[in-house]
Amino acid sequence: MSYILSLLIALPLVATPFVYLATRANRRIGIYASLALSVVVTLIAGYVFWQVYAGAAAGSLGQGQFLFQEKYSWISFSSFGLNFFLGVDGLSSPLLFVSALLTVLVIIGSRRLIDHHEAEYYSLIFLFEGAIMGVFTSLNLILFYVFWEIVLIPMFFFIGVWGGPRRKYAALKFIIFTFAGSTIMLLGFLYFYMGMPSPSFDIPTIQAMLQAHQIPIGLEYLPLLASFIGFAVKLPLVPFHTWLPDAHVEAPSPISVLLAGVLLKMGGYGFIRVSIGLFPGASAQYAWVFLALGLFSMFYGAVAALLQRDLKKMIAFTSINHMGFVLFGAYATLISGTTLGIQGAIFQMFTHALAVGSLFMLSGYIQHQAGTREIPLLRGLATTMPRTAVILVLGSAAAMGLPPFSSFLAEFMVIVAGISASAYAAISVLVPVITAGYFLWMIKRTVLSQADAGQPAHDMGWSDVAAFAVYLVPLVVLIVASYLILTPALPVAKFLMGLT
Amino acid sequence: MMDYLTITVVLLAGAGLFLPLLQVFRKGERNLAGYILALVLGTAFALIGLFTLYPSSVPWAGSLIIPDQLGGVFALVTVGVTLAVAVASFDLRKSTSNPVYYSLLAFTALGMVLLAYSQDLLMLFVSWELMSLPTYVLAGFDKKLRSNEASVKYAIIGAMSSAVILYAISLAYGLTGSTQISAVVEGFTNHPSALAGVATLLFVAGFGFKMSIVPFHMWIPDAYEGAPTTISTLLAAATKKAGFIAAIRVLLAITTLYAVTKSPLFTMANVFAVLALLTMTVGNISALTQKSMTRLLAYSSIAQAGYILIGFVAFSNAPGTTAAALGLTGSVFHVVNHAVMKGAAFLAAALVLLQLKRADLGAYDGLGKRMPITAFTLAVAFLGLAGVPPLSGFWSKLLLILSVANGPFAWLALAAILNSAFSLGYYAWIIKRMYIDEGESSERVKEPFWYVLIFAIMVGLIIGIGLFPQQVISFVSNAVAGFAG
Repeated sequence: MSYILSLLIALPLVATPFVYLATRANRRIGIYASLALSVVVTLIAGYVFWQVYAGAAAGSLGQGQFLFQEKYSWISFSSFGLNFFLGVDGLSSPLLFVSALLTVLVIIGSRRLIDHHEAEYYSLIFLFEGAIMGVFTSLNLILFYVFWEIVLIPMFFFIGVWGGPRRKYAALKFIIFTFAGSTIMLLGFLYFYMGMPSPSFDIPTIQAMLQAHQIPIGLEYLPLLASFIGFAVKLPLVPFHTWLPDAHVEAPSPISVLLAGVLLKMGGYGFIRVSIGLFPGASAQYAWVFLALGLFSMFYGAVAALLQRDLKKMIAFTSINHMGFVLFGAYATLISGTTLGIQGAIFQMFTHALAVGSLFMLSGYIQHQAGTREIPLLRGLATTMPRTAVILVLGSAAAMGLPPFSSFLAEFMVIVAGISASAYAAISVLVPVITAGYFLWMIKRTVLSQADAGQPAHDMGWSDVAAFAVYLVPLVVLIVASYLILTPALPVAKFLMGLT
Repeated sequence: MMDYLTITVVLLAGAGLFLPLLQVFRKGERNLAGYILALVLGTAFALIGLFTLYPSSVPWAGSLIIPDQLGGVFALVTVGVTLAVAVASFDLRKSTSNPVYYSLLAFTALGMVLLAYSQDLLMLFVSWELMSLPTYVLAGFDKKLRSNEASVKYAIIGAMSSAVILYAISLAYGLTGSTQISAVVEGFTNHPSALAGVATLLFVAGFGFKMSIVPFHMWIPDAYEGAPTTISTLLAAATKKAGFIAAIRVLLAITTLYAVTKSPLFTMANVFAVLALLTMTVGNISALTQKSMTRLLAYSSIAQAGYILIGFVAFSNAPGTTAAALGLTGSVFHVVNHAVMKGAAFLAAALVLLQLKRADLGAYDGLGKRMPITAFTLAVAFLGLAGVPPLSGFWSKLLLILSVANGPFAWLALAAILNSAFSLGYYAWIIKRMYIDEGESSERVKEPFWYVLIFAIMVGLIIGIGLFPQQVISFVSNAVAGFAG
């Protein structure tokens, strides 16, 4: 048995109190130690990611199989059993890696943007990271739920303590919305468990039962609905999205990166792993509904983004738009039978994390340097802040899916899968058009406009440019090396299609 | 044969009888009585622990008391809470310098231990009174108007509930010719009659007052608010649990009430389900609107009683099934967790009241800076009460909801889940006030050693049981299996 996934979860969690003490004692040492630790976690996650790719490429990681499995009995009494069960496959490994990578970038970005309660801040980052690693590696539903809920606690404090003027309201709204959604999801799991002929919370065990047709489809409907509520709040899907603009606007920029880059992925991951993976029959029956909801979210997010004056709010709505692609692609696969949808959805989650992550961080820099995030007030960035402007243009290009950024490929795959599901879904082609429209309009107003006289000009340093390159370079690399994500995603997609 | 239980009873009774003498002989040593009682309670806790881990299951005192494991769990919880209360009282010198205070605590503890093991209705009633009477005095111990009002209100309601129980016992004896609980239950089940149904409902009402079940809860907020907060801790975390063990022993084996209305809908499970729904909903909604911490805790305590009742529903609905075992295990486990979490929360409120002289919620603004240990304890206890994993309260709630998740009472599971989500509204709101809002001052306030010690133990338990629940769950599960079998 390998312990690498436990290590991946335990390392950040155990580090939490030490980071707190170190940062309290000496700010510099604390931050550098945090940075070093997060790099180590990223290297481990990168190794896991690579191994999953190698396994899938060599054909040793087949359909429905998991690498680095660990299983211990956690609770067992009379007929009740609960396992501490971890494993990764082509769905979780890219998310694991990108979450760890974003944590490093967030720590780098926070150095300048976070100026109070730093000890608490950096220790909570690791609590968050450990919980996220747990969410993406858990193969037991209750364990999954436990990590899922732990994520909320640091996020509550991130928004509430380090946020903007309306941070208290946003923090409470965030925690109540997401907690309500996830408890309903838990109820769905419990209902499902009690109805099974031989109850189990282990995802591979349940999937084996599904393949053997031991679970009646009648049992799947209510849990599908319950898990839909939980995941739709996190994704977020319109109309469950109202917490997101508030949370994003109030959260400090590095935390917005975590929110959009990592936390929203939990929703997409949940839809693919749980909604499709455990309730395939019911999912296939109602795939049209999910497809339509995803499409609606895509359009709603794009149109709402068009109307925003606040740069950050615009990016927040872009997230809703992009995450709609994930749901749309995943369910397009169920209808059309092409694996492109799920592969594209996984790819989209990865690219969205980096593209939108860079934009959120950039909005923090812009506010820090120019004193505002209002699009109409930001004028002439090309002359006043040339380096920032270049990064903004490149980040926007990545977010609107312009080649050579791999977000193009991801959205392309999703749309192709949608069209194979139904010719009417071709309307989704319009979404990238609107997205490109509002990004270009934003660039026209901010970067290409005439600078006002006397506007303060503080451009970012080259070290910050290097940090932003870390967001954007992988996106360019991945359009060539897309097999790194698509190869391991293929057995996952095939397996899920086989279940329906 | 001298066994652990005998020693425990003698120790507690001795402490209760002889502690007041200290007032006569040693006027100077004000806290001596407290130290002695803490020592006695600690010993009793260890003895019961040993006895519960290595049970000898021989009848004790005739057939009045059978020391089984289930009773052991409740005795441990109640004595443990009393110990925490006694230790926390060290710092409240003014009102507790009196050795009588500690003597009354000893009698309450004795009553709760005997109640936990009672197998006979008369024994149960006597220990019920032994437990209750000292708490009426303790509730008014501050000798302030509020405190006295709380005490009188509590005493009147308490006396009424005792009368109801006594009447139910008399009916039971008249119908079955026995006061032995097993015989009464058997008689009720085998020869259902209208009177048996009435007696059962009277038991529900009588125990319901102590368990803080809606609609028998109206005394709770006033009493908890008026009483010294350490005593509120005792009422919420200990004597309330005694109500639950009485209910488990008497009510759970009775499956049908049908003789009262001749309707097949009128079952114990349905009665419990309606009470559970009312209790958690009323408790949570009322808690949201409170302005004072003790009242908020009182209503939250009512809501938690509703969750515990869910296990009763699962057990009464289908005894002998997996769901029943899960439910009852969940109930008893939640009793244990709730005692720790609510004990921690009340003692934190007691310390805030002691140091800041304020009980309103405004006192909690910015508490994270002023009293970091207290605030952290309160935050952990609140998250546990809301059922946020991986804290202990999550696991017991999980078992409770699991037990009714699929079946005729699935609506109750949904109600419990929605209630949990709703309750986070006020728990998170207080956490927000403590850590995010600015207080009127950020000056550090002293946190006395004894409180810090208790907080450390309780937070350790909440997190420790949360991460490694196996030991406690299997212990509780064994205790419950003995009862159900």
